[in-house]
Formats: sequence, C-alpha cells, structure tokens
Amino acid sequence: MGAKKKVLFLGASGLIGPYLTPGLEAHYDLRLTDVKDHPDGIEVERLDITDYDQVLTGAEGMDAIMNFTVNRSDPDLSFHVNTRGAWHVMRAAAELGIKKVVHSGPQAVRRWYDHDFDVDDVPRTPGTGWYAATKLLADEICEIYARTYSIQTVCFLFNGLHDPPAGPITGRDFPVMSVVWEDLQHACRLALEVESVPANYQEFNLHSHLGHQKYSLERALDILGFEPVRNMAEFYRRPTEMS
Amino acid sequence: MAANKRVLFLGAAGLIGPHLIPGLADDYDLRLADVKSHPDGIDVDHVDVTDYEQVRDAARGMDAIMNFTVVRNDADQSFHVSTRGAWHVMRAAAELGIRKIVHSGPESVRGHYDHSFDINDPPLQPGPGYYMTTKMLSREICKAWSRAHDIQTICFLFNGLGAPPEGPVSGSDFPPFTIVWPDLHQACRLALEIESIQDNYQEFNLHSHLGQGKFSIDKARRMLGYEPLRNMADMYRRPI
Amino acid sequence: MIVTINLRSRRFGAEAHSIDIVRPEMNCAAGNDDHAKRTAFMRILLTGAASPLGRAIIDELGENHQLRLFDNDPVEADPRHEVVTGSVTDADRVWSAMRDIEAVLHTGEPPSQLPDDELARDQMLLDLATRGTHVLCKAAVEAGVKRVVYGSTLDLFEPYPDDVYISEMWKPQPAPHMVTMSRYLGELTCREFARDFHISMTALRLGRLVREDEVAGQDADLLWLDPRDAARAFACALSRDTSQSPVWSSRWALYHVCALPPNPKYLIAAATGAIGFEPQHNFAANWKAD
Repeated sequence: MGAKKKVLFLGASGLIGPYLTPGLEAHYDLRLTDVKDHPDGIEVERLDITDYDQVLTGAEGMDAIMNFTVNRSDPDLSFHVNTRGAWHVMRAAAELGIKKVVHSGPQAVRRWYDHDFDVDDVPRTPGTGWYAATKLLADEICEIYARTYSIQTVCFLFNGLHDPPAGPITGRDFPVMSVVWEDLQHACRLALEVESVPANYQEFNLHSHLGHQKYSLERALDILGFEPVRNMAEFYRRPTEMS
Repeated sequence: MAANKRVLFLGAAGLIGPHLIPGLADDYDLRLADVKSHPDGIDVDHVDVTDYEQVRDAARGMDAIMNFTVVRNDADQSFHVSTRGAWHVMRAAAELGIRKIVHSGPESVRGHYDHSFDINDPPLQPGPGYYMTTKMLSREICKAWSRAHDIQTICFLFNGLGAPPEGPVSGSDFPPFTIVWPDLHQACRLALEIESIQDNYQEFNLHSHLGQGKFSIDKARRMLGYEPLRNMADMYRRPI
Repeated sequence: MIVTINLRSRRFGAEAHSIDIVRPEMNCAAGNDDHAKRTAFMRILLTGAASPLGRAIIDELGENHQLRLFDNDPVEADPRHEVVTGSVTDADRVWSAMRDIEAVLHTGEPPSQLPDDELARDQMLLDLATRGTHVLCKAAVEAGVKRVVYGSTLDLFEPYPDDVYISEMWKPQPAPHMVTMSRYLGELTCREFARDFHISMTALRLGRLVREDEVAGQDADLLWLDPRDAARAFACALSRDTSQSPVWSSRWALYHVCALPPNPKYLIAAATGAIGFEPQHNFAANWKAD
C-alpha cells in the first residue's frame, strides 16, 4: 500500500473545514491550516492565504491543495482572500509541481436559472456581489493556471451545506441544491483520487437531494463518479397512510 | 438486407429540406411533403402541417417523421405551422405507433449567452419573438408526447446552415455555430438510427466548426456519436 | 464562398413595437393586514371574465378597481365596469382593450362555447393558450402595462406520487392532454416576455376549482380550490410589481395555489410568503369525513 497522499487544507477552521476534514483524515495525510483557531480546539497551523510566502511554504511537499477559505462580504478582504488567495494557491501549485487542487465557492446558477430545470453545465451568472464576484474571478484564475500547468483542478460550488435531518420531516419540501457533509466528504475524496478531468478544470454544483430535476448531477457522475450516498429527499416524504 | 426505413419528410421544399434530402435519399425510403413546390422541380406530396388529417394520412405506414417545417415571422402562421404543426406530428405518431421523430428549430442560446463560452446544454432563452416562441412551444409539445407515448424524439437546433467553402478562406474567422450540409446529413442519419434517447427527448445544438471554445458539441458527441466529418475551421487558416 | 442561411430572427416580425410608454407606479398601501385588498385602485383588464373563475375575480376586485371584462361571451356586470366581447387571438380587439390598462389578469379560462369535435376543440385550446397569450402579452408590453397575472394549473404535477411535497421547485410533467398541456404552454409564453421586457409576470398554478358549499359530502381532493380563494390569489398577485428588476428571474414568478388540507401534497408556502395568499375555504368538513 502506498503512503497516504499529503494534502494541504486551507480554511480548516472555517464554516466547511471542521465538517469536511473528519471524513478525509483516515485517507489522507492532512496539513490543517487557517488564520483562526479551530472551533473544536484541534491544532491548526497558522497560514494566511493573502500572503504568498505562507502559502508556498505551507504547500511544500504536498500532493494536493484544498482551498476552502472564504471572505464573503468585506469589500477589500473578499478580494484579498478569495481572488488573490486562489491565485496564490495556483501559483504555488505551479511553482511546486503540485498536480491536484480542490477549489470551492458559491453556486452561481441560482437567480438567473431559478425558473429552469435540468440545470447543469451552464454559463455562470454571479452578479456583482463581493462574495460571488470575487469567487468567480478566483474560478477563472484556477482555470487559467490549470490549463497552463496541467494542474487537475476540481471546483465544488455550494448553495447549502448541513447535517442530514435527524428523522423524517413532514409538511415541507426538501431544500434546493443543498449537500450533506457525508456527500461532500465523498465528493472530495473522488476529486482527490480522479486521475484527470476534461480541460484540466471542472466545476460541479453539488447536492444530495434527488427528485426536483432542477439541478442535475449528471456531469458529477460522468466525470467524478459522484452520487449522493443516500438520497436526502427520502427524509421529506409526505405520509400517505393517515392513521 | 432489411428494407429501408420509411420516413415522412415535412418541409421538403423549404430552406433546409432541399439540401438535406440528397444526403438521406440513398438510405431511406423518403416521402417528401410540403405546401409548396420543390425549388428543383422534384415531386413532393402536398401536405399542410396545420391540417391534422393531412399529416396523419401522410404519416400512415411510416417508420419515422422528420419535421423541418417553419413559419418565422407571421403573427398567426408561426403559431399554426410551428406550434400546432408539431402537435399534429406528435399526435399522428402516437395514433399510428410511429416511434421516431426528428424535430428541428432555431438555437435559443445566442442573445443571452453571447458573451459566454463552453455553451453546451444550458436552459434555452428563446425570448418572445414569434419564431423563437412558437418553436420553443413546439419542443415542449414534443417533450410531453414523447414522454407519454414512448416516442424517441431528437430535436436539432440551428443557428446557421450552409455548404462548405469551396477552398481555403483567408482574412476572416469562421462563422460561429454553423453546420455544413454533410454534417447535417450525418446527424440526421444518427438520429434516425439511434434506438432510444434519454428521457425519450433530447435537443442538440449542431455545428461544424471547432476551435473557438464557444459552442460545445459534447452532448451530441456523447448521446448521438455526432462528430463533424471535417472540422470546417480548417478552411479558415491564416497563412503563415 | 460560403452560403449561409441565417435562421436568427428574434424580434417580432415586421411590426414595430415600443415599450417606452411610461406610467406612474402604483403604490401598495403596505401594513394592511388583508394583503389581498391592499393594492390601490387600478384599471384592470380581465380575460375569461364570463368563466366561473372570471366571475369570482369580478366579485373579489369589482369594488375597489375599475375592471374591463373581456370574453368571447358577453359578461353581465355592474355598469361601472366595461365589457369587451372578443377573442384573445384577435390582435386588434386586444390592442384596443389594452388602452389605459395598468394590470392584466389573464385567467387562461377558455370560452364556454367550444367545438364538439375533439380535434377542433384541442386546436382551439392550443391556439388560445399560445397565440392568444402571445397577442395579449405583446399588447401589454407595448401599452406599458407593468403587471400581468396568468392562470395555469397544478395538474402539471399529476404524474408525481402522493408521497412527495410538490413545491415550485419540481419540474412540471404535463401530460399531452390539451386541457392541461395548453396551460403549461401559456405559462411558457408569458415567461419569455418577462425574460426580455420590463414587465412583472406572475403565473398562478391553480388547483381544481370547486365551491366549498357545492361539494358537501363528497370525498375531498388534494387539488381542490374554491374559486373565491382563486380570485383572492389573483388579487394578491396584483400587489407584485417587479417590472423594474434588472434580473429577469425576478420579473417572472410562479406560485402554487390550492386549499390547505390537513396533509397537503401541493405546498402553498411560497404564495403565502411572497404575495400573502391564505385560503379561506379549506374543505375541512370533507377531510373530516374522509
């Protein structure tokens, strides 16, 4: 058995990291980093993504980088963290010969496509908000570096992330384009393992609820082999036997 | 050898039909139909798609129907020919047990997506013009009937169609999203031969020029096995 | 030389059209607890006015608004309302009926007199829902109308099993029956106008219209909707004006509208939240007897 792949994880103390890294630990040798403390007191290395030298040093000796950092609505920091940060990651990967990056960001398919169905591989329409605009720029930077340096880059785009429901939920439809942690962990493992992706860069809108036929997972299945571990829509069944 | 499939071709004397039929005539037993006479004087049956009985009678005994009829800008006829006509075709197919339809219409990805790239199978944005709306409605009708009656329907969407250049073209870029006749022949043969298609209905943006990274043919490749016979972009090389 | 047939032509035929007629914005007197009645006085064009749904809308809105009642059949109404007899497929008739109108309620209800022959009937339903809706929306856009409400149907979700909650997020699966399919096609026709023009379009997917007092003792149906509640939904939708939104998906909206049974399949939370629709006739007696 080969040694575990070494993965630099950026944003380990953020909104996603603490829920994602537990599903990766058994399979990868993770270097957890962030600018702030981990909510569960787990040790993380200090790494500020806006500082290139820190990113370069953190990435040394790694097989892959996962970038789950974000600043959502600060007019300056959103550019520094999301856009410049993504550039630093790709630049470090190119400089060090790292061939796999897992990037992340917000979905950019709602709003303009809110009335459409079977939405999958569509031109993105992020709009002008800081969060969406800076992440769009980040994605473009990833794509350029991926193409130029043959870095296999997988970008996951999210709308909602959460735990699975504790039990059946009645009287409500299930959430739109929303992924449970187990599926995100699964998707990230697939992304870290996939040999290559078309055009060196692919982005996927991830979710865990099948039935609406609104957001399609067809490409994620084709390219990554991703399917929800369990269809979360099953929790939202209308009881048909009234007793 | 099995007999050729029998195919009703509606719109045989239109803008596309006369260029498409020569590529199909050897392999299919075509019944050519239109409301007007063929520009080359070829015999066509008079069939008006706005009249259901005429469509049904012409479709009797057929294995497939190809609908290449259109009225673009007339406020009433666009609805009667493009929308109602498509309904008649699907209804006749259901009534007669015909299992294959090749439908056609205009692309609905330009305009709103003109500044995007890698445009493959996004939600269509037809807008309210007569041509775009009536053809969009026709596709929804095809979808509903295909699903309910297990009819395999392939819809090709076009932006430009033309003959290949006779020789190298210099000083200009190739046209975006344009298909040459030999590729359309090929695509229609693939559509007529394919056993079944996902969800009984799929639409494809077709073209023959690869290189700009703007309009993708990935879906047609994956589902139909379509590939331009020759990348027409090769005709537009800058001499070096 | 390459000869190319360019199939692109996005605009309406040769006819000129103008969308620049500016009208004063209507103000909704917010803060009123009755959402349905809060929309200030408007001049409203109502299609299918002679249908049961149309009549219910007249009862709901007639007191506070000036109505222009449009139908193939003549409508009997209070003389302060105008009556226009004609078909929505008649562009001239529709154009003159649109004069000075501020909102259009397009019920989608067909005329009472339909051909007996099934093919001819279906042809007419198709024509009314597609060409008729197009004629109406085009005239509305050209006349500077900012609000259009269209009546569609919840029957689009008929193939889905009973153990799912149908919200607006589910993909419609219209059957090829013309009565159902035509309403879906009408929706799509409206939607394209909201995509390209600054007009606020609202589609209401209605349940099956039955009056609560006329179905006593009958088995309850998940799709039931009292026409008085349907009319309230149209009134609620009148409050919506997103015509100035730069995002087309805000100019267009769809809401599911039916009664609120004890164990609903068709969820109306979006209509309640966005336009304040709350059904008053929920067929409780029928459900209790079940």
